[in-house]
Amino acid sequence: MPDKKIFITGNEAAVLGAIDAGAEVMFGYPITPATEILQGWVAKAEENKKLQYLQTEDEIAAGFGVLGVLLGGKKAFTASAGPGHILLQDPLSMAENLRLPFVGIMMQRGGPSTGTVNFSQQEVNLAAFGGNGDGLRIVYSASSVGELYELVIQAFNTAWQYRWPTIVLGDGYLGKTRSTVLLKKPRQLIPAYPILEEKTEPTHLRNCYSSEESFGEVLKKNIADWHKDKPAIVRSESLQTEEAETLIVAHGLVASAAKEAITGLNAKKNKIGLFRPITLNPLDSDALKKAAQKVKKIFIIESALNQLARIIKYELAGSEIEFIEIAKPAEGFTPEEIITRIKQNG
Amino acid sequence: MDNFSPKSWNQKSKPHFFCPGCGHAIALKQLGYAIDDLAIQQKTTIGIDIGCSLLVWDFFNIDTVQTHHGRTTPVMVGYKIAKPQRIALAYTGDGGAYAIGLQSLVHAAFRNNPVTVIVVNNENYAMTGGQLSPTTETGIKTTTSPSGKDLKFGPGFKGPELLHQIANEKSFIARGSISNPVQLKNLLIKAIKNQTDNNSFSFIEILSICPTNWKTDAEQSFERLKEMEKYYPIGEIK
Amino acid sequence: MKSKTAKIILAGEGGQGVQTIAKILSTTAADEGFEVSYIPSFGVEQRGSPSIAFLTISQGAICYPRFDKADLAVILQERAIFNVARYIVPETTVIFDSSTVSFDAVRAKRKFGIPATKLASENLALKSLNVLMVGALSRLLDLPAEKTWQTIVSVLSKKFKTEEIKERNHQIFLLGKDFELKEGNFTEATFVPQHGPIKTGGEGKEAIIAPDHCKSCGICIIKCPFGALSFGKKLGLLSSPIPEVDFKKCTACDTCSRFCPDGAIKIKKIIK
Repeated sequence: MPDKKIFITGNEAAVLGAIDAGAEVMFGYPITPATEILQGWVAKAEENKKLQYLQTEDEIAAGFGVLGVLLGGKKAFTASAGPGHILLQDPLSMAENLRLPFVGIMMQRGGPSTGTVNFSQQEVNLAAFGGNGDGLRIVYSASSVGELYELVIQAFNTAWQYRWPTIVLGDGYLGKTRSTVLLKKPRQLIPAYPILEEKTEPTHLRNCYSSEESFGEVLKKNIADWHKDKPAIVRSESLQTEEAETLIVAHGLVASAAKEAITGLNAKKNKIGLFRPITLNPLDSDALKKAAQKVKKIFIIESALNQLARIIKYELAGSEIEFIEIAKPAEGFTPEEIITRIKQNG
Repeated sequence: MDNFSPKSWNQKSKPHFFCPGCGHAIALKQLGYAIDDLAIQQKTTIGIDIGCSLLVWDFFNIDTVQTHHGRTTPVMVGYKIAKPQRIALAYTGDGGAYAIGLQSLVHAAFRNNPVTVIVVNNENYAMTGGQLSPTTETGIKTTTSPSGKDLKFGPGFKGPELLHQIANEKSFIARGSISNPVQLKNLLIKAIKNQTDNNSFSFIEILSICPTNWKTDAEQSFERLKEMEKYYPIGEIK
Repeated sequence: MKSKTAKIILAGEGGQGVQTIAKILSTTAADEGFEVSYIPSFGVEQRGSPSIAFLTISQGAICYPRFDKADLAVILQERAIFNVARYIVPETTVIFDSSTVSFDAVRAKRKFGIPATKLASENLALKSLNVLMVGALSRLLDLPAEKTWQTIVSVLSKKFKTEEIKERNHQIFLLGKDFELKEGNFTEATFVPQHGPIKTGGEGKEAIIAPDHCKSCGICIIKCPFGALSFGKKLGLLSSPIPEVDFKKCTACDTCSRFCPDGAIKIKKIIK
């Protein structure tokens, strides 16, 4: 029986993704624009007693609660935004140190501080590098309601297979947009297992070390794993990049606007391509370099000052490419606007 | 609109953005009259939480600062250290005070920091659309307790009573209600005076209504408030 | 729908039903097999600011939920024009509630009025404005009438408490659907908020009511110990009724003023 299109919001898609991924527990705290994820999960939990939740006293408790569930061997997650995302750095850091499969869905909003409740792409730094470590967290960026569903499921699989804290970035527009979608159900789910193993030989987990050297060993091992796992984890999309001399780089919803803009820019004729990272951390550097092979100019478009730009420029350091950053912190780009801005810059 | 509302109200920000029938505005009227009566408009600074209370940012002709959710009390504690002669008010909701901000609130009471904390209690997280809060009573339906708040999430949280347990004996702790505006104003005056005259911590929870998220009309809102008053006692906590 | 894609912006007062209208139209279009995208525009306040919805209905894929230029703009309240003016271009068709929005306030080349608030209040209730507008817009967007009505029923099922209410709403829906939209001038917008303080008096008392501040919450009415207040015909800030005073019952006890969250009423004894 062919799947039917349904008409759901991004936040609803996130809830469906978590359920179809096998998540059993959600911890959360009300915060716009992610609150509907908590509410949606609560509504589902009313019907399905296997699902549990707790509205905690704050996001810090929510994040540590998630870690507790993971240690016990069930899939758990939280959803937040903005100031809540900041508070989650505390538990995220523990997850990063202990390699715990934390999953968080962050619906970006304008920042810093309370900012706006609406939209931004300003939480990339937070998601990837917000803790007091070196940023060994997986970060996915969703560009559509359907993709948000897929990436939430992917996040659980990646987290439990490779043991990295994993964040799926959406934004307020995506969360609140009701869109016709055909959900791509998962083909395979990675199972959860107790991390505190309850075996005769006990598991001792610590995140505190006395000497630089002993901690250094742990970090070296984690970094080696990060590099080893990278090829299997990275994802990106390249559109019309084979002969491109100009490249647009964007992620999330901005990339969707850019996709529509590309048709208006007569892309094939004008040799304009689009590179869309789906993982922001680790970035699909091989695919980026391939897309940029013949490129003279790269437009980096984001609803932040330079959070995507720094990641891209790091990967292409030393190249002769001209970078033009089109930045609109906390405000969205319509396809028409992207076309105008690209034309303005030649 | 002279003598429709307190002198300390900033008329330039009226009509304000609180929902029709919001209890905050009724409480803010009495706070305004208290400030007028004490003639402290020039000497007061108000810290504001994030929630519906954030709408107070331009509400008065008084210096205000929007802080982060649950962090209003510690900000005003710090401010009072810098400016001991000024009157430091922290204005927050039940979520900001008793969930995310509880730790800081408890410690301010414990240390007897000379600030006045005002908590408007409408039993939900209103600005985010009506989720349960610590003060939501057992059995009440909210968007995160669709079948009624279960006891496993705690019964209604009694903040003033909790603070009374660890606060210094010189503190002033009370609960008022918008159903009795005159009494409320007097409690607010007493609370503020405890800061100015006794250099001690003062706290007042104000039972309030939220027609928007309770989905009640005026009559039903005050009916529910009456029920709340049966569970949350009004008056000074001694 | 003649063109491949229709970009529609709807704007009105919070509480008028803009989001409900958008939800019903978008759900119907989705059920009809169109690609649909609907996003509300929102700030922090729960109420008190204009409510805006972006709706895109297309035969092809929709990449982005917002746009710069609207094909169709629906304006239900004059206060909302400010928020949507930037989306109106010469090609935009504007549908406005001619009973609340004055013709001259709408700056557009193609504008059609429908006295929605007037028709709704006269035929059923102010609240049924959204059902009426769905009727009118469903016809404009070539959405099948019966399917649209079914969507209304499922979205508003909790409000249709009796069969009679449901049937009367059905009539309102059909009224909107069959309304002939004509370009041209219209009679004065009559359902507009009053401005400036309203002074009334009697029996040795004077009442001042500020319609610019009154949000029709009804608290003064229920708190009055003498039942001297009731909703009148004049409209306030949110285009909903404001109270009027029965001076025979009023004692100028000041209870209404004490409770009013908006400082919108004051009654005093006239000292002679």
